[in-house]
Amino acid sequence: MSTTGMRSILKHKYDEIEKRLRPETKKLLDEWKELRKKYESEELEYTVRGETIRQPMTTLSLSGTTIPKVVLPSYKDWGDIVQWLMQENVPGAFPYTAGVYELKRQGEDPTRMFAGEGCPERTNKRFHYVSAGQPAKRLSTAFDSVTLYGEDPDYRADIYGKIGNAGVSVATVDDAKKLYSGFDLCDPATSVSMTINGPAPIMLAFFMNAAIDQQCEKWITANDAWENVEAARKRIYASLPSPAYHNPGNSGSLPDGHSGLGLRILGLSGKDVLPREIYENIKKDTLRTIRGTVQADILKEDQAQNTCIFSTEFALRMMGDVQESFIRNKVRNFYSISISGYHMAEAGANPITQLAFTLANGFTYVEYFLSRGMHIDAFAPNLSFFFSNGMDPEYSVIGRVARRIWAKAIRFLYQGNERSQKLKYHIQTSGRSLHAQEIEFNDIRTTLQALYAIYDNCNSLHTNAYDEAITTPTEESVRRAIAIQLIINRELGSAKTENFLQGSFAVETLTDLVEEAVLAEFDRISNRGGVLGAMERMYQRNKIQEESLRYENLKHSGELPLVGVNTFLDKKGSPTILPDEVIRSTKEEKEQQINNTLAFRKRNEYQADEKLQALKTAAGTSENLFDVLLDTVNYCTLGQITHALYEVGGQYRRNM
Amino acid sequence: MKLNRENRVRIVTAASLFDGHDAAINVMRRIMQSKGAEVIHLGHNRSAEEIVKCAIEEDVHGIAVSSYQGGHIEFFQYMKDLLDQAGCNHIKIFGGGGGTILPQEGEQLLRYGITRIYNPDDGRNMGLEGMIEEVIGVCQSVSLLQPDFDQGSLEWKDKKDSRKIARAITLAEKGADHSGLLNDIRIKEIKNIPVIGITGTGGAGKSSVVDEIARRYLRAFPDKTIAIISIDPSRKKTGGALLGDRIRINTASDKRVYMRSLATREDNAAISRVAQEAIAICKAAGYDCIILETAGVGQSDVSVTDYCDVSIYVMTPEYGAASQLEKINMLDYADIIAINKFDKAGAEDALHDVRKQYKRNHTLFSASDDELPVVGICAHTFNDRRLNRFFHLLMNKIKGKTGVNWAVAPEEKRLSEEGASDNIIIPARRIRYLSEISDYIRSYNNGVKEQSQLASQLYQLQGAMALLKDTENENES
Repeated sequence: MSTTGMRSILKHKYDEIEKRLRPETKKLLDEWKELRKKYESEELEYTVRGETIRQPMTTLSLSGTTIPKVVLPSYKDWGDIVQWLMQENVPGAFPYTAGVYELKRQGEDPTRMFAGEGCPERTNKRFHYVSAGQPAKRLSTAFDSVTLYGEDPDYRADIYGKIGNAGVSVATVDDAKKLYSGFDLCDPATSVSMTINGPAPIMLAFFMNAAIDQQCEKWITANDAWENVEAARKRIYASLPSPAYHNPGNSGSLPDGHSGLGLRILGLSGKDVLPREIYENIKKDTLRTIRGTVQADILKEDQAQNTCIFSTEFALRMMGDVQESFIRNKVRNFYSISISGYHMAEAGANPITQLAFTLANGFTYVEYFLSRGMHIDAFAPNLSFFFSNGMDPEYSVIGRVARRIWAKAIRFLYQGNERSQKLKYHIQTSGRSLHAQEIEFNDIRTTLQALYAIYDNCNSLHTNAYDEAITTPTEESVRRAIAIQLIINRELGSAKTENFLQGSFAVETLTDLVEEAVLAEFDRISNRGGVLGAMERMYQRNKIQEESLRYENLKHSGELPLVGVNTFLDKKGSPTILPDEVIRSTKEEKEQQINNTLAFRKRNEYQADEKLQALKTAAGTSENLFDVLLDTVNYCTLGQITHALYEVGGQYRRNM
Repeated sequence: MKLNRENRVRIVTAASLFDGHDAAINVMRRIMQSKGAEVIHLGHNRSAEEIVKCAIEEDVHGIAVSSYQGGHIEFFQYMKDLLDQAGCNHIKIFGGGGGTILPQEGEQLLRYGITRIYNPDDGRNMGLEGMIEEVIGVCQSVSLLQPDFDQGSLEWKDKKDSRKIARAITLAEKGADHSGLLNDIRIKEIKNIPVIGITGTGGAGKSSVVDEIARRYLRAFPDKTIAIISIDPSRKKTGGALLGDRIRINTASDKRVYMRSLATREDNAAISRVAQEAIAICKAAGYDCIILETAGVGQSDVSVTDYCDVSIYVMTPEYGAASQLEKINMLDYADIIAINKFDKAGAEDALHDVRKQYKRNHTLFSASDDELPVVGICAHTFNDRRLNRFFHLLMNKIKGKTGVNWAVAPEEKRLSEEGASDNIIIPARRIRYLSEISDYIRSYNNGVKEQSQLASQLYQLQGAMALLKDTENENES
């Protein structure tokens, strides 16, 4: 046969196959060359929420090597290119395997500043300490267990001992105002994360009022209206002490870097002292501006962590109310849920179980919100995720798999837009992987886990302090933990390339394996009636317990080598380190919290009943409970509110 | 370790207040059960008062509490104080909290009278089994045969002495004389006291139903008291038992509630031999109403009807084929049949089938469905509308059977008629959402594979054609 004849046969075959190529595949191939060119240029231009951003595409090493930030494959075969574009793609493009943004945000390391101890004033001081000199103030709040379970501080002995321990005590809106004072909560560089679940809607209402009243305070100053406000204060506090910012451990002055914002109006609400229209405008603007996250993930509480206080159905209804209120008030920069796997991992779940259960919970919220008539694109951007990062190999791809599954499901099943398809997550190094023996080695573990996380393009990262296995971290150990991130982000050359993992055979294979393992787990949960059906059978809880037991057995037998714990012991056998003393809240702090709460109740005793009644009435109807809560919290304490809600929504019933 | 069935250890286990860390205490209580103890497990987040109330009512030898959230000094000391005040200092307190309880703090607690605080080194040295054997050994040194208690500082005069009620049941359980105690606790006027019996298959949600009845009862009758007797099976092999109903019954912490969990012990039955005596003791003590909850039963068991005035059979829509209903004896004998978890798929069909079977069993072929005492309920939904109606049906049955007519306040009646409508989280038609996601993603992945293969073929063809073109060009030149 002539070559021309052969060519025409091939051409015929070519045309035949080409017909089976989908238009989107063709488009990807057509645009490939251009995409490569775009990434080879010196600057990349892209848009984030309508804003055009230009960033250099390279960095220069000390040796003078030009290091590209994003490297594309040099594949020739169109099949490889198609495969890569459809399963990997560049960061910022579907399925977002390598990351949800084209490039990392400049000038903001994904470092959260974690604090929570004693009274709000003490934690406020710590926040100012850990964020000093950082352009972005990313404050993470840990609450004490009294607060996490929705109760007020009290002299009753079993409550008393827990006030302000292992977290900050916050029982009133005044406490929240003090806690975040001196940080402008409407500054785009400030973001606040609150680790609370059962009483999350109430705490969120505290926070929002704190933010609104800060802006009211600014308005009063700008309009020279303090005279009126002070007159109101005199009236209200004629016979009562006015609440004050007072840190028993640091009497007198405000912490370094504290601007005083939020304290001048303490004890009052802009609602009471400003013209209604002005107040409503400030409120509207504030809600649209505030940035942050509230954990509020009630499903994982029932599965792993146990800080449930309301019946699960009622808790979910309130979460739906929060989300609806967010949509109506255009709260776009605040995550209404942080769908969390961290606590499952801490309870012993392996990385696949962690990822599968967490994503499954996420899709459960999606289904619930959809069933309430919300549009996927109205709420999906308010969802965020929170994972743990341990030593197992799967942790090297946990973000990649999470993003890929989320994007595919939201795009194809739920028909969500690009913004909804982008899964954003916070990740924390594993507390469970830290040991009470040879505690100095813990920083090494944390460093490796942080490297996993940064290579995986996490959106936010918390590194644990090495002494967390034995005590509450000190300022010294926290500083070292933050240094771990800074050293990777600022010193480590390979981290300048933002898709350093892409193209690794091992990483690609692992991604596929973990993705399929997660889907298989979805099927198992589905066979049990979905997440809620499986919860009723305690499926998640039992699986986590089994995996925990397996880990403990392997650790005990030495099959799972842990350096300085069951192997490579020092001459003394690497004994368990005991802390000299544990930081505990002081008597003064506890009593201050109790007395402040009592004073708050006293101050509002004539309004509280009416406000609680309004809240209970709303709970019995389809009225939005969160809208009502935004008002209630100005008159009632956390404990008053949770107890009122128990009457209408039911308390949590434990399972076994 | 030798089982001592004579002085069988009863112990309350819990995690402390505002503390969700229940993994360790769960491991411990399982070992206790395996060593023959009867464990009343309260789970996480329990106040000192709740634990002590439970310990007294259940007449236990000891309390074992884990505390990982700090505040342990105050917590353990407060439990000890409450026990002492109640004149129950015979009850031993055991605790642990890993590294969170410092050694010097553990010593401080021992000096205060806490029996033992375990630290991580104890775990390493004694092993978990060794620790539990020690706990059980210490508990066995406590005798629960005395009919009298320390004075304590608490005034028992104005209220029912739950210590003595509990001890009377313990003595009855051991076959010992408890007539003296009975005289102590007996109220003057003997009332007509209705006994409600609740039975059903394991996992049908009996305890939740008990809790929901008790909650409505306490709310509807602000001055009435109630006793709950709940039975769980003993394990034949170990003699131990998990008495797990109390963890579900939130109302058990109410002052007007007395609750006692019993194990079936040597009897191989859904109801403990001592149940009848326990009921008699609670009646003598003057509780206004008594609920008896049996262990999960098989299809043939109707023994609950021997003990109660009104019996309730709790089942779920998941009983299998309709013919299974023909085998359930309680459908003949129960005064009310409650189909719980009524939000489950197939619930309406189940209600229809059970009603049909009920009509057959009672030859009530012409009865209208609404007249039948067969109702759907959702005990996990707060203030469930159906459960409100069920509660009223129950009150009417009590009136019919015992003549006790509790007038329900009009406000309560109104509320019960409203009640919460179904709060459906995931609509039934969406229940397979996770499988749908898997399907979509797998189909996408397969599509990628196929498209990639086609693209590869095109690339190869294009390459081959280019080579041929090159050859032609060479030949031409």
